[in-house]
Amino acid sequence: MHALIADYNYWIYILLMMIGLYAMLAKNNLVKKVIGMSIFQTAIIVFYVSIGAKEHASIPIIAHGSGHGAVEAAIDVAHYANPLPHVLMLTAIVVSVGTLGVALAICLGIHRRYNSLEEDEIQEQLQ
Amino acid sequence: MIWQLDFCVLTLIVICAFATIMVKDLLSAAIIFGAYSFLMCLLWTEMGAVDVAFTEASVGAGVSTVLFFAAVYQTTRRVGVRKSGRMLSKAFALVAALLTGLVLVIAEADFPGFGDIFTPASLHVSPYYITQTLHDTNVPNMVTSVLADYRGFDTMFETAVIFTAGLAVIAILRRFKKEDRCDLPEPYVISAGYPDTIIRFVARQLVPFIQLFALYVVAHGHHSPGGGFQGGVILGASFILLAISYDFKVVLGIMSERWNVLLGNIGVLIYAGIGFLCLLLGANFLDYSMLSKILPATDKIMARSHGMLGIEIGVAIAVMAIVISIYLNIVSHGKYDKGL
Repeated sequence: MHALIADYNYWIYILLMMIGLYAMLAKNNLVKKVIGMSIFQTAIIVFYVSIGAKEHASIPIIAHGSGHGAVEAAIDVAHYANPLPHVLMLTAIVVSVGTLGVALAICLGIHRRYNSLEEDEIQEQLQ
Repeated sequence: MIWQLDFCVLTLIVICAFATIMVKDLLSAAIIFGAYSFLMCLLWTEMGAVDVAFTEASVGAGVSTVLFFAAVYQTTRRVGVRKSGRMLSKAFALVAALLTGLVLVIAEADFPGFGDIFTPASLHVSPYYITQTLHDTNVPNMVTSVLADYRGFDTMFETAVIFTAGLAVIAILRRFKKEDRCDLPEPYVISAGYPDTIIRFVARQLVPFIQLFALYVVAHGHHSPGGGFQGGVILGASFILLAISYDFKVVLGIMSERWNVLLGNIGVLIYAGIGFLCLLLGANFLDYSMLSKILPATDKIMARSHGMLGIEIGVAIAVMAIVISIYLNIVSHGKYDKGL
């Protein structure tokens, strides 16, 4: 029971990943598939950020006084959240809007040609 | 971390995720997905990832939702029902999702504990970043210094990826010649589209402040959450707001297609150019400390800080142009004649 509560972020990430995967596979509508893909992406981001989280840690910005080089106090590593996953995921989010744009553009291209966004209707026209 | 808050947000996230894929209307799905993104944003702030939360708020909840709207506007908000093989495909997808979940649950036993200070991810390079960033670069926001300095290569190619995505959207959708524009069904009407004075007035008054805020986010990314990506997206969003409240043509009048592509190029070029400048000055690619030779009154440490600002500006310009370009192409179906 303790493990179940302690790692709740990981369980949610697994659940979101399953939801995203299910939407990508089962949904008939192409835009719904794209939404599924976005959920899948955010699931992975949840995982990364959870790895970087530290108990009782602050945000990864060093508190500092005014002026040039005002910080003298030793910096405690445990006091700040791990910035590395944050950096990786920050760029991943921006890239995800790029992939979303391309995916929607492809959906629009398909709609232009087949006048439908439904997978089975497009399949019918292809045969 | 406050686990009670975490639980509430995570529950809402799962509910939103279910709702957004179950709802039978694409417009509603897009709106629920926007809510989902905002909840994600809360979750990340709560875990201390403020920069990620900021990016999610501007990108995930802001621009993604608008892109979905644009796509729905040009297609349909209808979600059909699969006619044949419905149960089969659902069962297959369910089995695949459950299998993936099972594998991940088994692997979960080996994951580092949540909130553990000694996770492998926090042991190798991360302590160096945390303790040395101020000493090396004089930038208190570690995320910015890692993004723009220590891992500058990575970010440069991420910017290139955004640029490529913009080019891909143009390549897929843009139709230049009249004869290429095969007949399209009329865009789906979301609202009656009458000129609403109040909305237009408010939007017009807001845009300068949004842009000022975006510039602040870019310039102040060294000391607070924010930076080139977030600032660039907010700048782009201000133009999208104009396009939605007025007309798509208004934005084209300010930011023509030529300018958009040019600015996307210039942004990536600024980034790479600063890298090459460092190379010319005798340092490694993207090692900004050598910029102190040409920047007046800066030592090697401040030069790194200034170099970061330079590349953040490049990133902001590129991201702004590409976000606008993607929106304009999707909303007008690549014809640039009419749109939301």
